[in-house]
Amino acid sequence: MPVLRSREILPVQPKPLKARANIDPPATPTQGREQPATRSSPPSLIPSPKTLGSVSGSAPILRRSLRLSTRASSNAGQDGVLEAEEPIERRNGDVSRKRKLSADNDVGLESGEDKGVLSLRSGKRVTKKGPFGDGNGSEGDVEVEIDRKGKSMLVEESEDTEKPERSKERVNVKGKRRYSREEKGKGKLLVESALESKDESLVDGSVSDVELLAQEVNLSNEKPSKKNNRRTSQGRMERFRDTARENASRFAHFSTQEEDDNILSTEAESEIPSEEPEEKGVEDWPGPFSTAMKIIRDRAANFNVRQGSSSSDKVQYLQIKWVPQKGKRKDWSKRLPPSLLDLSLRVLVDNADAIASLAHVPDALRHKLCHMLCDSRRMNSNFFDLLLNGSPIEIRLKDCSWLTEEQFNQCFEKCDTINLTILQLDYCGHCLADYSLPSTLARSPNSLPALTTLSLTGAYRLSDAGLSALVSSAPALRSVNLSQCSFLTHSAIDILATSLASVLLELFIDDCQSIDAMLVLPSLKKLEHLEVLSVAGLESVTDSFIKEFLIARGDGIKELILMDCWKLTDSSLKIIAETCSNLRALDIGNISKLTDTSFGYLASGCRSLQSLKLCRNAFSDDAIAAFLEMSGEVLKELALNNVGKVGLNTALSLARRSRNLVSLDLSWCRNLTDEAMGLIVDSCLSLRVLKLFGCSQITDVFLYGHSNAKVEIIGLKLSPLLEHIKTPAQGPLQYSSVSVGCQ
Amino acid sequence: MKRKDTVKLISADEMEFIIDKDAAMVSQTIGGFAEMELGEVTFPEISAVILEKICQYFYWALQYSRGKETEFHIEPELTLELMMAPNYLHT
Repeated sequence: MPVLRSREILPVQPKPLKARANIDPPATPTQGREQPATRSSPPSLIPSPKTLGSVSGSAPILRRSLRLSTRASSNAGQDGVLEAEEPIERRNGDVSRKRKLSADNDVGLESGEDKGVLSLRSGKRVTKKGPFGDGNGSEGDVEVEIDRKGKSMLVEESEDTEKPERSKERVNVKGKRRYSREEKGKGKLLVESALESKDESLVDGSVSDVELLAQEVNLSNEKPSKKNNRRTSQGRMERFRDTARENASRFAHFSTQEEDDNILSTEAESEIPSEEPEEKGVEDWPGPFSTAMKIIRDRAANFNVRQGSSSSDKVQYLQIKWVPQKGKRKDWSKRLPPSLLDLSLRVLVDNADAIASLAHVPDALRHKLCHMLCDSRRMNSNFFDLLLNGSPIEIRLKDCSWLTEEQFNQCFEKCDTINLTILQLDYCGHCLADYSLPSTLARSPNSLPALTTLSLTGAYRLSDAGLSALVSSAPALRSVNLSQCSFLTHSAIDILATSLASVLLELFIDDCQSIDAMLVLPSLKKLEHLEVLSVAGLESVTDSFIKEFLIARGDGIKELILMDCWKLTDSSLKIIAETCSNLRALDIGNISKLTDTSFGYLASGCRSLQSLKLCRNAFSDDAIAAFLEMSGEVLKELALNNVGKVGLNTALSLARRSRNLVSLDLSWCRNLTDEAMGLIVDSCLSLRVLKLFGCSQITDVFLYGHSNAKVEIIGLKLSPLLEHIKTPAQGPLQYSSVSVGCQ
Repeated sequence: MKRKDTVKLISADEMEFIIDKDAAMVSQTIGGFAEMELGEVTFPEISAVILEKICQYFYWALQYSRGKETEFHIEPELTLELMMAPNYLHT
């Protein structure tokens, strides 16, 4: 997410407001802010600030700290402050400024320069504040609330704005008004900017408001706000109620961004401060990446120039030339008959109890059967016995929740584990405990001599001692998955590291809440050949952890899963890029602090990256596009799930560069049009899977018009939901091959 | 009366099944074999019963892809073996 404005506001005369300030949804005014550059915000984004009818004049708060003169800095602050559209989207509630028209503020602030005064809702006067010093009460600072009913108040500044032309107005508008909502029983959100320098906030707020209003008013591009119309026709109280109703749910939503911010301030010390401030980082990007970025930006700029952009409102609407095919067959998938294999599997699953023996059935088919049985909850101990019969080599159970402890003990006691290579018992918490291990899995040291891959996710009763027993029975372990084993502590990992230092290749400790990353660090460093490390969900993973670990082991790492490690910043990515030259797969989902700088590092550092997974990150369209231009050729799997800013630039780069892309996830990327999607799908000839959950903007034009016969589009029409979660057939290890001694 | 557009599949117990080439093409493997081996393919591991069922499947799949979507019934007793054959055939 972009940096919240609040951090960049220069403090200016804080006093009077500070006393009251209540910082809540930070940057409420910022929410309304938009970058001047990216004005192509969809109409839906900006509900015009609502005017709360004239509030009873009793509102004491209308104090406008009037320091108009100091507003001068506003311009400067603008850039830093403006944020991308996204927060606006989320903060629709904020944006709807409830204004209280106060008579005082309404003082005729009109500057002659403007094209008159636009009367916005509830007949408020919108005036353009020209130069500073226009000072009237209206350029207020953020206002502190008036009366609250136990909820935080939002005081929005809405300025009198006129309908400026966007292109000029952004920075100039200074008029602001403070409004507060008086309605009882409704929460009032206090604009956080109150805390910070008022100037900045005011200006920003005003600008954003102006912009909002401008957008609102600019009917050529945006739909007139319904509220607008409605408002004029309703009474004031009605308006209050309506806006309250509409915004209540938005207020209820607590953005993680705020949370992050709050936590940020308290935990700053664990982060490695980046050596250069972010703005400067752009120039410091390695050459190729910044070149790529420039190209991308120029591409847009040139296009706009060519268009003779009169419409300053529609920035960067690149045109994608893609024409859907006409008269093509409708649904590719319908024509393919289910394979005989699938049909037989289904029959088997239905009649699983009648199966007498699984001898001679190859492991791959056994796994498929288990998978389907577990999914349909038909798995039972009879079948489990069949699986364990003979001397099984691979056992993969993706769900052991049905297994009771007794059954587990019985089945495993008589199982011959001499040849067992892969043992996967996911979600085995219910059946696996320390005391059952000695009779089942950990019968004796070396009772599992061939075991290469062990997965015991969700074993919440497994303690360090239990794991130690297991490890002593399986000295050849190469891959260990202990996700969600909440009882394990760093000593367990220490045990692992000590016994398996030279053999362990893959370690997954996702969501092991009792493991502290920094304490585990020394053990991790002992693992000489570690290729895959997953620490997803571990909150204690910080930049310093990444730095220390990768400096020691980075060159062997092939896959890093850092999803949900929200404390990480760009400096971690820098280190990853510098040390992990062999990195093939990276998952940095939900790390909201990462900025475009990370992409710069990645593009220059990890040249063999084949799989990149993003989720809810705050990267910009340009950065992703530039990265694709540079590294797109090698990429096989890309997930841009909910990376909201993905847009046409990315689409173009994907189409041009991603020849080898097999799987693409563009769920919730709402800025992509049918044309963009069509272009991507028709150009990425290796594409087989395309996930489009939440992309309601995609229509049949794309679905029936694209010409890629092999791609499977998941998530739009009613497709069987779980089918897209396919477990690929896996060998024991992901990146290396196991030299199998016995077979 | 061997027409050119048929393929002969021979099972382990030497039962011969003659099917259309189109039907055989449902399986890429057989299609490939048929090209090379003069229209005759032997399957030493697949028994006649199973091979018969497989041929039935081919015709059913043809029908399905031409629009007629019916159900293909498989006797449960056959299924285990049946399952292992296509694994090999559809590569």
